[in-house]
Amino acid sequence: MSNLLNIAPASPDGRPGRRELIKAVAFAVVATGGLVEDVEAAQHVHAEAVSAQKATGIYTAKEMSAAEFKTLGKLAELIVPADDVSGSALDAGAPAFIDLLCSQNKQLATTYHGGLAWLDAEMNRKFSKSFVNATVEQQTAMLDLLVEADKSERARMDESAVVKKSDFRDFSDYTFKQPHPQAAGAKFFDWVRKMTVDAFYTSPIGIKDLGFMGNGAYSKYEVPKQSLDYAMKRSPFA
Amino acid sequence: MAQIPNSQEVYDVIVVGSGAGGGTATRVLTSKGMKVALLEAGPMLDPFKEFLEHKMPADYDHRGAEEGGASYFGKGKPFGFFSTTSGGWQLEGEPYTVGEGSKFEWFRSRIVGGRTNHYGRMSFRFSDFDFKPYTRDGLGFDWPISYEDISPYYDKAEEFIGVCGSIEGIRSAPDGKFHTPPPPKVHETLIKKSCDKLGIPCIPNRRAVITKSINGRAPCHYCGQCGRGCQTASAYSSSQVEIFPAMKTGLVKVFDNAMVREVLSNGNGKVNGVLYVDKRTREHRVIRGKAVILAASACESARILLNSKSKEFPNGLANGSGLVGRYLMDTVGFGLSGYVPALEGMPHYDTEGYGGAHLYMPWWDWEKHNKLDFPRGYHIEIGGGYGMPGVGSYHGAARTYGYGKDMKQNIRQRYGAAVGFSGRGEMIPNALSYTEIDPTVVDQWGIPVLKFHFKWSDHEWRQARHMERTFTQIIEGMGGKVLGLNNAQRESGGISVPGTIIHEVGTVKMGLNAKNSVLNGFTQAHEVKNLFVVDGGSFVSNPDKNPTLTINALSWRACDYLSEEMRKGNV
Repeated sequence: MSNLLNIAPASPDGRPGRRELIKAVAFAVVATGGLVEDVEAAQHVHAEAVSAQKATGIYTAKEMSAAEFKTLGKLAELIVPADDVSGSALDAGAPAFIDLLCSQNKQLATTYHGGLAWLDAEMNRKFSKSFVNATVEQQTAMLDLLVEADKSERARMDESAVVKKSDFRDFSDYTFKQPHPQAAGAKFFDWVRKMTVDAFYTSPIGIKDLGFMGNGAYSKYEVPKQSLDYAMKRSPFA
Repeated sequence: MAQIPNSQEVYDVIVVGSGAGGGTATRVLTSKGMKVALLEAGPMLDPFKEFLEHKMPADYDHRGAEEGGASYFGKGKPFGFFSTTSGGWQLEGEPYTVGEGSKFEWFRSRIVGGRTNHYGRMSFRFSDFDFKPYTRDGLGFDWPISYEDISPYYDKAEEFIGVCGSIEGIRSAPDGKFHTPPPPKVHETLIKKSCDKLGIPCIPNRRAVITKSINGRAPCHYCGQCGRGCQTASAYSSSQVEIFPAMKTGLVKVFDNAMVREVLSNGNGKVNGVLYVDKRTREHRVIRGKAVILAASACESARILLNSKSKEFPNGLANGSGLVGRYLMDTVGFGLSGYVPALEGMPHYDTEGYGGAHLYMPWWDWEKHNKLDFPRGYHIEIGGGYGMPGVGSYHGAARTYGYGKDMKQNIRQRYGAAVGFSGRGEMIPNALSYTEIDPTVVDQWGIPVLKFHFKWSDHEWRQARHMERTFTQIIEGMGGKVLGLNNAQRESGGISVPGTIIHEVGTVKMGLNAKNSVLNGFTQAHEVKNLFVVDGGSFVSNPDKNPTLTINALSWRACDYLSEEMRKGNV
């Protein structure tokens, strides 16, 4: 019988029913000689895991001020906007995700406090408005500038900060590549962009947007003919 | 220091380490009615606590980035939050050192089951020619055993742990006792077509996952999360499949958090126990046994032997040859990925399958070495499909596409349209790759640590370049475009960082006599009849086949031999 499962100590994290359901998978298998009947039990295990996901309630910021949290929300809406397929990163809870991790990590919190302050200062200098109060055109103009700064900084780091002339003799022959004027903002932008993207694609909204269908439970694995035909037709093997 | 005997009990066999070798030994010996003490340097495993098999990122507020976003700072779990690694490249308080000019990374799991809780589960038999490499090309050494010696144990191991596969009749990939494999995924079918054109065999993968029920284990339910540990034990782990059932016999006592310092000898050419540190109390304790089996992983077993010095064995236990620690090998790794337009826009489906690729390519040119600029060979592992989105999955795409609707559309369109190839090749053992005791450093338990030295030779570098050319041909043959290095971090610079494929073997090699080897063909020490090493340490060569199945088989064979020898009174 299912001795493997019986011997394991009970799960201490208070997931009532979960262990029993997994046990049921094994018992069903033993009872039926490994035929199809086990699937339903296996699916329960997964269904239960999914239903245990927290319902999205109102999140209260732990680290960010109300203004900072609002700016993160605006950034989330611009970085991963809603379109005709799915909602935005704001809908997916990006500001809450960022705020939570910042509340647990001083280094990260400093990056965000400083970066958000830099962003508003730069917006004020350019447009005399804070980021959230600016027009969409002004907001995207700033983000475009930060994308450009990020790419330029990446290229600068990739090569080398110094360029050597071919007839190198002494140090006067070195020229130092200058950092992009928005280099500091670019670093912050990379953080807010990657964490916003992570928050979106790991959320139920993002998972649905991409169409990830795995982590299921089946008695048999099958590849749909429709998908195979589609790829074959478009391949050199058609 | 004070050494506290655990009890008056003398076990039939003491097994050190609970991975593939130690788990198999514990099960086989208890099935013969022998009393076993099993020592593991980590804690007991609770699959229902440790295995995050059915979770999604959104089940956690940190989404898998871990507390404070640790994964963004390179401080998260080695293969991501959801993996069941229970260890890492560095363990706090248990350092190792690396010689000047060398690179080596040592992955250790500290938990009952060891690395088998999360490993890739590729289960390939060595071929007949893999046991006689020196005879074939004059490099390295021949094994003292042949394929015929191990073949019955491959049968037993496959039947017991359960391996999927198909009968193919390919000499480099001997057939075995297989469960029915799942069908190929779409990208794999395209890869197979491309390989067909190149004359490269592309066959059902062989992984230690069951597709029919055996020994009370449920068949695979295709959630695809084997690397997180399998709660239904459909994927093999020594903890769930061998050790937990063995515990039910009442014949094994598990000592967890037991860090073995040395094996004790009786002054008459035999060992009679082990000395270990109880990590909970830091006390030194002794367990007595009639025989000792080391299965602590190749390098850790070498470390224990080298640290077991006595008047009788001044260079370390069973080390009259001076070969303990020598001929350390890893697998040659190189990865490349490609973008395949034919897959773009395909109707999505569940590509997880049984948790790894459903096809693989065994080595094909074993008779054409006169046309190649490197010896031996490699197999190819495949990646691709609609993987579970996680933290970090789209950082690269975001940097490429900027932000906004355009980025979102590009990520959506490219999702699942890339394929990856990982070459896993044979390294030739060399004198510059070895491990030894670092006389200047001890770990937090006061045990002298290992120092690693490692060099890839031209053989390995040329093989990696052959992989690169081959993968490029396969990608282009399916209408794809090479994207760049796969697993860039671990395989940067054109060849994997030594140790990072986690196939480190050798260091306690077997051979025909006590002069040229440490162990005989049964993995029994030449110099100490009641001492065995059943992890990857005994390997004489490191064929491109992933080592675990061979460790299972050699351990089983060693235990059959040991019990017979004990019955006859020879041990």
